[in-house]
Amino acid sequence: MIQETALGLEILRDVARISNSTLNLDEILAQTLDIVKNKLHIDACSIYLIETENEQPRLKLKASSGMPEGAASNIYLKPGKGVTGWVAQNKKTLALSDALQDPRFVYFPEIEEERFQSMLSVPMLYQDECIGVINVHTLAIRFFSPPEIAVLETLSGQITGCIRNALEFQRSQLLLKEQTLLYDISLAVQGTMKMDHQLWILLTGITLGGAGGFNRALLFLTDDQSKVLQGYMGLGPDSPEAAGYIWSELRHKKGDVLHWILTESDRNEYQQSAFNSLAQSLTIPLKPGTHVLAEAALLKRPFLIDHPQEHSLVPREFAELLGSDSFAVVPLVPHQETLGVLLVDNRYNNAPITDNDMALLTRLTTHIGWVIENSRLFNKLLKSNQELLSTKEQLIQSEKLAAMGELAAEVAHEIKNPMVSIGGFTRRLRDQLSHLCQDPNLASLLDSPIQYSGIIINEVERMERLLNNILQLSQAEQLELEDVNINELILEVIKSFQVGIQERTIELKLHLPREKEVLPIDRSKIKQVMINILSNAMESMPRGGLLQISSLPYVYINDREMLALCFEDSGGGISQKTFENIFHPFFTTKATGTGLGLSISRKIVESHGGALELKNNPNQGVTVYLYLPLQNPANYNKN
Amino acid sequence: MTKILVIDDEANIRLLYKEELQDEGYEVALAANAEEALKAIETAEPDLITLDIKMPGMNGIELLRKLKEDKKDIPVIICSAYGAYKQDFQVWASEAYVVKSADLQELKTTIKEVLDAS
Repeated sequence: MIQETALGLEILRDVARISNSTLNLDEILAQTLDIVKNKLHIDACSIYLIETENEQPRLKLKASSGMPEGAASNIYLKPGKGVTGWVAQNKKTLALSDALQDPRFVYFPEIEEERFQSMLSVPMLYQDECIGVINVHTLAIRFFSPPEIAVLETLSGQITGCIRNALEFQRSQLLLKEQTLLYDISLAVQGTMKMDHQLWILLTGITLGGAGGFNRALLFLTDDQSKVLQGYMGLGPDSPEAAGYIWSELRHKKGDVLHWILTESDRNEYQQSAFNSLAQSLTIPLKPGTHVLAEAALLKRPFLIDHPQEHSLVPREFAELLGSDSFAVVPLVPHQETLGVLLVDNRYNNAPITDNDMALLTRLTTHIGWVIENSRLFNKLLKSNQELLSTKEQLIQSEKLAAMGELAAEVAHEIKNPMVSIGGFTRRLRDQLSHLCQDPNLASLLDSPIQYSGIIINEVERMERLLNNILQLSQAEQLELEDVNINELILEVIKSFQVGIQERTIELKLHLPREKEVLPIDRSKIKQVMINILSNAMESMPRGGLLQISSLPYVYINDREMLALCFEDSGGGISQKTFENIFHPFFTTKATGTGLGLSISRKIVESHGGALELKNNPNQGVTVYLYLPLQNPANYNKN
Repeated sequence: MTKILVIDDEANIRLLYKEELQDEGYEVALAANAEEALKAIETAEPDLITLDIKMPGMNGIELLRKLKEDKKDIPVIICSAYGAYKQDFQVWASEAYVVKSADLQELKTTIKEVLDAS
């Protein structure tokens, strides 16, 4: 008993020494194995720790002694499987004097477990959680005594604390590296406003920066219509030799690798690299279920592809093109919209891509997403700004012109009247002088006066031409013709009458089959005409009725092909007297209204080369026919 | 004889038009503003009116409207230094629009056309 107690104390002392001397997990495990082997007289010892890979916990053999060298690299156990698994799951010690016979035993040929007859398996518990298992094996059959079990359990308890610290330390080291990387990258990115530079920096950070960079990175961006993913940038060595060269270069650099890359290496070199050209040649359609890159973009989630050749979402040519054993794909979704996709692989060193790698990658791609988003917004802003500036300038310009136009018009008016007087009277003067020339006595005397008046008239005409030239700026063409979609115009006009139509409970029937009909007309004037027609129709139906607007087959009027529109109301028609006066300019039967009447509308339509006719159906309603030529009349200038 | 009423606020213009139109064989009545114009229409009963737009008091467009409302059958030719008014819908109520010029030929031709048409 005392022996065991002393042993227990020794072990505790040794463990304490470990915990005070190192935070390195491998060292802790190695020293633990030493203690176990030396103090417990056993033949082999193995330590398993629980790891989470792809969200599944499993027991990994982390260290062993007394077993074949190099056996420990790839042994994994699911919790519950094997003796070790059982112990981990149930968190209870198992002492098996005849281990091989136990139904829970699982045979691993790599560690030659069949040599060992007995085993003692102790869970490593931290609070309520099992973080691993310690196994000890003996070649000969051994019945483990309770004190022995207690000793191992004590050891386990103490070591668990150290191991947990070590793991935490590992994690924080990793995080620190990552943070430093992100910080360095962010700093570098801030240093340039050009999106391509920023992306280059980020991809460099991913491929060559610390914290386990990837070998190669491929950036795809979605095009404007979001129909395809276009390869935008590819960073990575072109060949294993190039990779080897770069990495040996890096090993020789002291201090911050990323810093060196960003400040010293040639940014534009990558543009010539074969890998970049390959990247830019790739176009992936964004169709679901066709390509892992498209899936990542559409589903907005990352993918880790372990066997590309066998994966359903990886087309054969693509897998061959990449040539890597595994790759990861992460979408860039800065604000709910997928901007692109990042693909990384470890083509040259074939290092597996771990969960940690994926986590880091996701964080980095968030940055990339922001960079692209920022850049796009910035460019949009720049463009808007420029447009605004130029619009502003144009506005100022046109205001100036307008002001000048008004001024010009004022001046013109002021000047015109005197000019009319001068010119007009000088003409009369010359005419009267010429008349006087009939008297031979006066003829020679009148030569000069006639000449002078001729000069005055010419100069006045010259001034008038000048004025007219200037006034062209402030004077628009009488008809400003442009191609207008007639249906659109009609609908626009109807819309402005919406309230009135509803208030009067007027039923509206439209028959406008030619949706794409476009005519050369003065939009504002014809709109005025339609407003006039509709206004009259509505006024005639104060308590409801039917308004039909239809487009009729083309007709020929005056040898010209015309579009025919027909506006029919059910307002009961008009009296004879009204009908006679209806085309009068200011005639109106309404209490309000401009009274512009159909006369002006008719004139406008006629100046287009069309026609406006009215048909009165007594006791039923009025039908207005509006004819507009399909083609430009020859004499009008198009704006 | 055909009678023309010339409405313009400038005395020189009135004089010039009177002389020119009389030479063409028309009888000419004059008015310097809307008020005078309305009186002149009652007394002289012109066959045609030339109308300037910019006038003190009631301007030409308002007068045009009044004329068209009351005396629908007298043709009106707007004769103005302003070209920009051609854009105003309301001037479409007149029979013609002539821009003032030192050369009165266009005015004379237009008068003939309008008289022939009415």
